Amino acid sequence: MDNIDNNIILSVKNVGKSFPGVKALDNVSIECRRGSVHGVVGENGAGKSTLMKILSGVYTKDSGTVMFDGETIEHTTPIQSIKKGLSIIYQEFNLVNTLTVGENIYLGRFSEMKGMRNIHKKARELLDSIGSTINTHRMVGDLSAAEKQMVEITKALSFDSKLIIMDEPSSSLTSDELKQLFVIIGDLREKGVTIIYISHKLDEIFELCDIVTIMRDGRVIDTKPTTDLDRSEMIAKMVGREIENEFPPRPHCVGETIMEVKKIRTRKLNDISFTLKKGEILGFVGLVGAGRTEIIRAIYGADKTKELEILINGKPVNIKKPIQAMRESIGLVPEDRKLEGLVLPFSVQSNIAMASLKGISKFGFVNASKEKEIADRQIKNLSVKTPSPHTKVVTLSGGNQQKCIMGRWLEINPDILILDEPTRGIDVGTKYEIYLLIKEIAEKGGSVIMISSELPEVLSMSNRVLTICEGRITGEFNPEKDSAHDIMDAAIG
Amino acid sequence: MTDQLRLKSFNLGKFVIEYLVFIAIVLLVIITAIVEPRFLSAENFTNLMRQFGPLSFVALGMTFIIVGGFIDLSVPGMISLVAIISLSLVDTIGEIPAILVGLALGAAMGCLNGTILIISGASTQAKALFITFGMSQVYGALALIHTDGTSMNRNLLEHEMPLTRVLGSGMLGPLSVSFVVFLFFLTVLYIFQTRTFLGRSINYTGGNIVAAELSGIPTKRIMILIYAICGFMAAVSAVVLFSRVSVTTPTVGMNYERDAIMAVVVGGTSLLGGRGNVLRTVLGVSLVVLMSNCMNLMGVQSHLQEVVRGAILVIAIWLDHRRQ
Repeated sequence: MDNIDNNIILSVKNVGKSFPGVKALDNVSIECRRGSVHGVVGENGAGKSTLMKILSGVYTKDSGTVMFDGETIEHTTPIQSIKKGLSIIYQEFNLVNTLTVGENIYLGRFSEMKGMRNIHKKARELLDSIGSTINTHRMVGDLSAAEKQMVEITKALSFDSKLIIMDEPSSSLTSDELKQLFVIIGDLREKGVTIIYISHKLDEIFELCDIVTIMRDGRVIDTKPTTDLDRSEMIAKMVGREIENEFPPRPHCVGETIMEVKKIRTRKLNDISFTLKKGEILGFVGLVGAGRTEIIRAIYGADKTKELEILINGKPVNIKKPIQAMRESIGLVPEDRKLEGLVLPFSVQSNIAMASLKGISKFGFVNASKEKEIADRQIKNLSVKTPSPHTKVVTLSGGNQQKCIMGRWLEINPDILILDEPTRGIDVGTKYEIYLLIKEIAEKGGSVIMISSELPEVLSMSNRVLTICEGRITGEFNPEKDSAHDIMDAAIG
Repeated sequence: MTDQLRLKSFNLGKFVIEYLVFIAIVLLVIITAIVEPRFLSAENFTNLMRQFGPLSFVALGMTFIIVGGFIDLSVPGMISLVAIISLSLVDTIGEIPAILVGLALGAAMGCLNGTILIISGASTQAKALFITFGMSQVYGALALIHTDGTSMNRNLLEHEMPLTRVLGSGMLGPLSVSFVVFLFFLTVLYIFQTRTFLGRSINYTGGNIVAAELSGIPTKRIMILIYAICGFMAAVSAVVLFSRVSVTTPTVGMNYERDAIMAVVVGGTSLLGGRGNVLRTVLGVSLVVLMSNCMNLMGVQSHLQEVVRGAILVIAIWLDHRRQ
């Protein structure tokens, strides 16, 4: 502790942490320079979140030392670390939707702020300082994801945070909002605030971070300035092997038209019409909130529509409920795995067999041995990493959870499979496996509609791309010929 | 097989929480048997089976509601109304038709509850709580209107209500007839719950109603179904209740919702929905009934008994939370 380098704001040395049966962190050491943007990347389960939770005081470490701002930190609680100047902004925000922006920023400190007027005044100053125009009297519940994030950042600044950890900050932002976030982060860096930026999106890391730490299996693999790294090297370090291509070769199996969407009209969507062909992978590109998810939810009967005209194999169909969509051989892997896809406390088997149960029932009785067969088959097929089919699905990693949902639908083998953000929050290795599955579906004659916020992914996998902006289809592109720039241009509108 | 056994390390805390009801029942029986020898008499055994009766039927129905992720507070109103309507019809249409009308009425009230929940867009337990609470007032008030607030007495001769007499006091060997009827419902409902598509769908609905709907599980039909089962089982309770004494009051169903929810949760069915089954509920009902019986035998004051009941409900919910 003698030679404290004043330039180092955070120094983590040989930190270890075990959970029953898992070594989550193994001898982890990281140093963050004051005023830098420090990226942390790694596959799911690499230990990033565990490390951050130790820093913020949610978990206690088993071994090692943590020095923050020249002070050794032993046992700490989240509120103590915030007061010391270490804030963390989680992916799912920690805000009270029914309170105003100002109240959220100074939550729990009303008395020391001496009155609401002062709270709003101070909140206004802080928001101005990061160039945000959000009215401090607005309800947080009415804000967009990007605005909520600014409120979180402002809240961190109100504690005079010296270090702000951002966990997957971009996952709910549009590209414009992301640019704005980058500007803010740049400003904070100027002011000497250190940012730890955790993300799956390597492009962001390269654009934003000065230095990056790559983690794998609870260990730090490497810490390097981003300028000394290239993308493939970083991926190789993350997965521990060279991945030649991020995407498998695009399948070319496009056949006859299978589905014709003549008209969708809802509160948000205007005269949507498009066709889908057999064996085709159709990509939807657009900003978050442009109406991509609304279109596929309307087709699937999950949302109410004012007008819905769909022809499947030339025949008009009536879809008002998901079950009717399933009867027309349409499947949906929804956007939010945990809220809409899985029954978290249930077993892997129950989750995989969920949509097949009716089909394997006779006189209303479920055939238990067939249910087991289905689960075993899909676990093997998709190489789901699970100790047993009876393991609770909540204990699996994000990628394996997603495989369970994919397996649920592959078992039914629908003619049309809709994938909404199929690789969100999934590690690089599993992503590739999911791409292979999508390719296989198309090669077997199935049609796929794929929504993704990751442009390279849609462009590399799709045979055709539709751009969606503000509830309308604004363009149709061939990703093999048209440039990504033109496509993005149409998506922004 | 042995491999699996070896892999499972023994966790005392988990074991105790998992089998707590069972341990509690065994302890309760042993302690009461020592303190109060009358507990083990044949007379008390018959008594226990009788007390088991009405509550056990409601609790079976309530299990489906709670596994489905909802709650039903309309049970007292439904029991009261069915008891009043059935008993008042015995004179005019005869015993068996009157009972059938009562059962149909129970199922119909359940369907109405489910339908109202769907129409009002209530997909959470909290909303169901208030709506069924309101419905209970409606059913209970109808029962009061029907009788002008007085109790209803039908001390008919044995030959006029043979079935009710058998149900109320008949014995089949060592078992009371109402207990045999309970075993019948238990078997049917257990098979329904664990083996059939609809029964399994109730678990999925309770586990995650959004995911269930998107995977083609008919969640709306399931909602109506579970409320119909609960209404029907409440009606069975009503029939068993008046069959014992041929007298009923328009408030006869009071507190049955509380005891049923307590039995279900004490048995280990999660209030969060998705997990649990009717066998667990049998344990829960056993504990609740044994406890009343023990406290009665030991002469515990009735208000103090209520305190104990309330405390056990709170502890059960706390344990449910711990189990997550």
